[in-house]
Amino acid sequence: MANPGDRAERYLGQRTSRRGFIRGAAAAGLLVTAGTAFGGCDPDSAEVDPDAPDTGDITLTGSGATFPDPIYQLWIDEFRSVRPDIVINYQSVGSGQGKRDFINNVTDFGSSDAYLTDEEMARVPGALHIPTVIGAVAVTYNLEGFEGIQLSGETLASMYLGEITNWSDPRIQEENPHLEMPDHDVATIFRSDGAGTTWIFTDYLAKVSDAWAEQVGTGTSVQWPVGFGGEKNAGVMASVQQTPGSIGYVELIYSLVIGMPVVALRNRQGNYVPPTLESVQEAAAGYLDDLPDDLRVSITDPPEGEHAYPVSGLTWILLRRERENRAETEALIDFIYWALTEGDQLAVDLHYSPLPDEVLDITLGLLEEVHVDGEQIFRRPD
Amino acid sequence: MRPASTMRRYRRRTYINRFMLVLTVGSTGVALIPLVLILAYVFQQGIGAWDVQFFTESFRPVALGEDTVQTGGVLHAIVGTFIIVGVALLMAMPIGVMAGIYLAEYPANRSSTIIRFCTDVLTAMPSIVVGVTAYILIVQQTQRFSALAGSVALVVLMVPIITRTTEEMLRLVPDSSREAAIALGAPKWWTTLTVVIPMAFSGIVTGILLALARAAGETAPLLVTVLGNNNLAYNIFGPMQALPLLAYRYTEQPFAEMNEQAWGAALLLVIIVLITNISVWLATRRRQAG
Repeated sequence: MANPGDRAERYLGQRTSRRGFIRGAAAAGLLVTAGTAFGGCDPDSAEVDPDAPDTGDITLTGSGATFPDPIYQLWIDEFRSVRPDIVINYQSVGSGQGKRDFINNVTDFGSSDAYLTDEEMARVPGALHIPTVIGAVAVTYNLEGFEGIQLSGETLASMYLGEITNWSDPRIQEENPHLEMPDHDVATIFRSDGAGTTWIFTDYLAKVSDAWAEQVGTGTSVQWPVGFGGEKNAGVMASVQQTPGSIGYVELIYSLVIGMPVVALRNRQGNYVPPTLESVQEAAAGYLDDLPDDLRVSITDPPEGEHAYPVSGLTWILLRRERENRAETEALIDFIYWALTEGDQLAVDLHYSPLPDEVLDITLGLLEEVHVDGEQIFRRPD
Repeated sequence: MRPASTMRRYRRRTYINRFMLVLTVGSTGVALIPLVLILAYVFQQGIGAWDVQFFTESFRPVALGEDTVQTGGVLHAIVGTFIIVGVALLMAMPIGVMAGIYLAEYPANRSSTIIRFCTDVLTAMPSIVVGVTAYILIVQQTQRFSALAGSVALVVLMVPIITRTTEEMLRLVPDSSREAAIALGAPKWWTTLTVVIPMAFSGIVTGILLALARAAGETAPLLVTVLGNNNLAYNIFGPMQALPLLAYRYTEQPFAEMNEQAWGAALLLVIIVLITNISVWLATRRRQAG
């Protein structure tokens, strides 16, 4: 479990300045660390061809989730200095459109915080879910002078169901003995657009609250019983900031960058845990025992993990198993492999949790399933 | 001496006249307030993002935990906007102008009535509908987002504007000019080309520029067709960035630097549209002087 951290440290130790390290290595012509990465795309030789493909620039297009956008952009930029011949364009249009674009096959890869439903899988036979990082949905609120509010999932669900309408409700007060909860109306704020964030959030509420599962359910957009909507993360954030007594949910990086207070949520072990790098990774570890082969898994409300944050989620890159263009497929897999194995420190810098080694292992196995004209493209180095 | 009653009525009319004048001037002022407020606010918010980097560099990702935050610029969006709108203009101009000539210069019949009606319907068409149509017809068929699909969507929005202004301008050319040319033995096409069009030329240019200004600021049709691109791209068969698209997307980013760039892009867009409109004004003025 500590291995991703080790990997990060090893990586950290290798670089004086990150950019300097990578550029310098690239200038040297042959990357020692990345060498293993590119051996994978060429089954005949483990060597990297220094003056790589002479097919000209390869351009790859992807669209989807906003949640991993900052880290994807950083990875793309860094990868450019490793492989200048590959130009990747990722656009954060939202998980909903990302899945649609992937199903319509108008992009080279899709991206989503919600895995494809069985119906959607039927439309894209052989769709692969490649997890990249783990993120968290932060529950943020606007109550001036009240730091460190703690809630259980049941209480949170009751607030979003409209059953708890005041912050001084005994159920909230009971969970916050260290605070004198104010007599203030609760305003719940949700995402009005189709979002993977909403999917993770409602998936969590449905797991911890039977009432939520029956009345509302799980989805990228649902019928909210009460509250009002904000457009995208920025809209939810703005609504929370402008509405005293409001509570909303956003991707973790938004609350971090803007500096809004976050709710510590109670996990299965009964501990109140705020979203952090460690607590998010521990949530993934809580599901290691029963990971499905295709990694289409929700990691909300983990059964194990003393300090696991319960509203965490994987985010996936969506790939087709059978592809047509060999050069593009190789480039894409090179990028994903590099990001998963060399890009974890960049992820940590941006408060994303890298995949635990066990998950990474299964992920690399999924990458090996990609074929062009029946031929396997990627073999993981030993 | 006029009778007192006449004087009284005259004075009343004067008062009403003054009252209505104040009302109309006041209304004009009220109508201008939003424009002034928008210009001032966009300028105030956006000017901070304008530095050399803003115009000379493309997107750079924001990295937390670095000492120096690299913000990059919007060069890729500036280039993209000019390419997308330029290609659209090249397609819309001949179609719009020729359709306008047909409507104005040839006798009204059933087909011209239908064309005029369709043009009016197209003018009122929500731009997102045009964008989605382009997505289904071009993006889904070619299986890729492309600047060209965005240009085609913009063409659909530009053509009706160009067609209707061209038609109106050609109608303003007095028939006596046409008759004079025909009397001298010029065939109809020669009359149209060398007499009618030159006389209406600045008016036609006005229509084209107005269409250009409309297209440059459109976000919705581009959203679903060109996708956006964080790299500097010149390939019209691939995804491309555009200023309105960049402004829209950057407002959703968590990073303050990118929010500021969104304002900077909005300011640049407003200024481009403003310059276009001032060109329209100059073109119109020359026509009146000539």
